[in-house]
Amino acid sequence: MQLTEKVLKEMNEVIDDCLADEPPYCQARCPLDIDVQGYITLIRDGEYKEAVRLIREKTIFPGILGRVCAHPCEEECKRGELEEALSIKNLKRFAADMADDPQNWDLSREAETGKKIAVIGAGPSGAVAAYELQKKGHQVSIFEKLPEVGGMLRVGIPAYRLPHDIIDYEYSILEKIGVDINLNTEIGKDIAFEKIREEYDAVYAAAGAHKGIMIPIEGSDLDGVLIAADFLRDAALGNDVEVGKKVLVIGGGNVAMDAARTAWRLGAEKVNISCLETGSQIPAHSWEIEDAEEEGIIMNPGWGPKVIKGENRVEGITLKKCEQVFDSEGNFNPEYCDDNLKEIEADTIIFAIGQRADDSFVKDAEEIRQVDEVTLQSQKDSIFVGGDFKGKPLLAVEAMSHGRKAAISIDRYLKNKDLHIDRENEGAYESKLEKEIDPEEPVRRRVEMRMIDVEERKNNFKEVELGFNVAEAKGESLRCLECECKECVKDCLMLEKYCDSPKALFQEVKDVGIDPLVYFSCNMCSQCTLVCPKEFELKDRFMALRKIAVEENNGESPIKGHNAIKWHQRLGFSNLFTTCKPASNNEEDSK
Amino acid sequence: MEKTTKRVFIPGCSLSSYNPELVGKTIEYLKNKLPGTGAILKCCGKPTKALGQYDEFKDRYASLQKDIDALGAEEIIVACQSCFLTMSAYSKEQKVRSLWSLMPEIGMPEATVGKAKESDITFGIHDSCSTRDRNDIHEGIRWIIDQLGYDLEEPPHSKGDTRCCGFGGMVVPANPDLAQEIMDRRTAEFETDYLVTYCAACRASMYKGGKKAVHILDLIFGDVWTSESDFPDLEGAFDSWANRYKTKKKIEEVLS
Ligand SMILES: Cc1cc2nc3c(=O)[nH]c(=O)nc-3n(C[C@H](O)[C@H](O)[C@H](O)COP(=O)(O)OP(=O)(O)OC[C@H]3O[C@@H](n4cnc5c(N)ncnc54)[C@H](O)[C@@H]3O)c2cc1C
Ligand code: SF4
Ligand code: SF4
Ligand code: SF4
Repeated sequence: MQLTEKVLKEMNEVIDDCLADEPPYCQARCPLDIDVQGYITLIRDGEYKEAVRLIREKTIFPGILGRVCAHPCEEECKRGELEEALSIKNLKRFAADMADDPQNWDLSREAETGKKIAVIGAGPSGAVAAYELQKKGHQVSIFEKLPEVGGMLRVGIPAYRLPHDIIDYEYSILEKIGVDINLNTEIGKDIAFEKIREEYDAVYAAAGAHKGIMIPIEGSDLDGVLIAADFLRDAALGNDVEVGKKVLVIGGGNVAMDAARTAWRLGAEKVNISCLETGSQIPAHSWEIEDAEEEGIIMNPGWGPKVIKGENRVEGITLKKCEQVFDSEGNFNPEYCDDNLKEIEADTIIFAIGQRADDSFVKDAEEIRQVDEVTLQSQKDSIFVGGDFKGKPLLAVEAMSHGRKAAISIDRYLKNKDLHIDRENEGAYESKLEKEIDPEEPVRRRVEMRMIDVEERKNNFKEVELGFNVAEAKGESLRCLECECKECVKDCLMLEKYCDSPKALFQEVKDVGIDPLVYFSCNMCSQCTLVCPKEFELKDRFMALRKIAVEENNGESPIKGHNAIKWHQRLGFSNLFTTCKPASNNEEDSK
Repeated sequence: MEKTTKRVFIPGCSLSSYNPELVGKTIEYLKNKLPGTGAILKCCGKPTKALGQYDEFKDRYASLQKDIDALGAEEIIVACQSCFLTMSAYSKEQKVRSLWSLMPEIGMPEATVGKAKESDITFGIHDSCSTRDRNDIHEGIRWIIDQLGYDLEEPPHSKGDTRCCGFGGMVVPANPDLAQEIMDRRTAEFETDYLVTYCAACRASMYKGGKKAVHILDLIFGDVWTSESDFPDLEGAFDSWANRYKTKKKIEEVLS
């Protein structure tokens, strides 16, 4: 079929702008582009193995993300407009718990390239980069300062949220695929940065942010003043930690919540948290605060530290009321009221006000501080920088997304390919879907996660969340609205019968052509146009195809059944069946 | 030919094939209310256009236009939605009016108002999809049914959002199985067993979809319909052409 330029243009409009393959809101928001709707519907149908396979297409860490992912996807979930978002994270954990099996892990590799890559840091960012690059046929070596893999997943996030055996289990894919892991090896101390830079074809620096920040207020040098990052690390690695009976944690983020809950587990009897912010300004996620409060931890929102009191050891702290955290321009600029003070007794103070990256192992740190946002390449061509180490505290899933991005860049760099092209949709983006919730959609409450009793949590690091059982997972998965467009296909029996979407159909018309019966089966009813967010006039496109088909068939329809119409038309215009009568003159012209 | 013909009524193919009596009565009514009304029985050629035969369509339409011009009509009154659209687009010199929006303006035929008040049935309205954006037509139809006194049911998809009966785009001859599915889906939207359409082709589709269906002119000019009435069947091909011939004769008789 010879398509004219005009017809082609109209068809291309649909091929380009039809929303049929636009991902749902959840998936678009996922920094790893995980097919959320796909795995949720598989869980709904009891296809757990398939669900895990689908998740693993995009991440080697289903069980880790299923436990600790901060789930930005749930913020975008369409269902949230109705009552509450889907429990996307918990369903991921369910799939992993039910059906993950190392026998099905993807350990395939492209042919050996002979290129060597060094990854600094065995946190999630480094791990993902290592796996992806090893798959590409390169040989990756990870250098990790600590005796264990996992980075902040292990030494930040406490085991009661993410058990260490889950980390070890999922990280084992790295060794299985041939990544060489060097533990207890600190770059800058055990091996010079310059040395690996020379010996390896490329370096991915993903050393995280582990240097806790401290404010030098009076008393901050007393015994019993700790830094959350060190405190959590020691607790996680089983090192000695000295925690007293009365603990105060300074900070309002998730790290503060984890430090407080860890202190409580290590024997503290009274745990306070103070932070400058109040209400929704508190940076920790609401669920983190709820979980902490459930364990008896007391929040003191709107208070900042003034002096830490004590002789040699901490005895208490004086807090001052914080009246404003951010100024009118939105900058961090706290203002205090020095008359409004509050005393809290404490023998341990833990600072949890942020962590910085330690880049002292690089001689000229400036060289790697300027990083291309699109490629993560630094000023030094062979060095790529990502994860928390890049400078901004990230979510674990974002650190992993950096790992993938760096791997794509490094692979291209080693193959002398352009690093910049086709990188638009990496990481999170906004879905163009324009879904409207069916007004008939019934309210279905989100399935809550069951947890072990508070009593049972004391003095141990047992996992708190119990995971969904089969019934809970099924109930939760049924809540998914299966966001997609294809409104036209749902409405039109003809489209439903003959295509996956107009986008795919017109692509097929262009590529190989389609059976004329398809466009001769359109009712020309415009129903599709009414429901289409793009208001595509599909009938006009089908009509244009009919026209061409007729032209190419000597002016006749190529459809057999249309033969009769020819005769109808001839009769319909013959004298036998036509008449043309003027108004009659015998009208009783009453008016 | 004298210049007494101000307007022309064009009943269209499907109505003429369905029921010559109704065409005759409509012309009587128009003649009475709007003196100076003539009539033409000829196809507008839309079926050729629907098939994509644009050249043939142009010839066909020109033949109809010639007749209209010969009568000197300034206005065309149609009873078919497809004719309405085709003629609105191609007879630029004439004003095209739908009988259904005209009726509320000129009033119901004599002795029809309230005649069906006692009827025991509710009619579901199936709107034609081709004039989905003609609110005046939708309102006119509802006004007429209300004037007659029938109860009516609106399906989930109606007026601007109506669904095709299955006949549109010449799909019936091309893909009868699909057309049947579309007809079935449409009729399934109604609770009542009795449907009224304002297009004879839609009526046939509703019948094929398993309902008892009438044309709105059946309500206006026929006896009062009740659950005891005999509802019209599907006319066969032979009957259709016989009806068209009778329509021709009827027009010539009424306008003699
Ligand atoms: C207490 C806490 C709780 C958190 N909770 C959550 C949560 O619930 N959900 C969520 O999504 N995110 C959470 N995060 C954030 C998340 O853990 C981090 O974003 C993520 O771990 C960053 O990954 P990364 O690979 O960039 O760095 P890291 O995980 O920090 O890994 C960097 C690794 O590099 C190693 N390293 C450092 N310097 C050197 C060197 N010189 N030589 C060799 N190795 C070196 C470190 O030992 C470390 O193992 C939390 C963070 C913390 C601190
Ligand atoms: S309802 Fe389902 S598909 Fe839609 S955004 Fe939420 S999880 Fe994704
Ligand atoms: S309604 Fe159909 S044609 Fe319109 S954007 Fe959605 S899938 Fe594409
Ligand atoms: S115009 Fe054609 S494609 Fe669109 S809804 Fe009607 S039959 Fe389907």
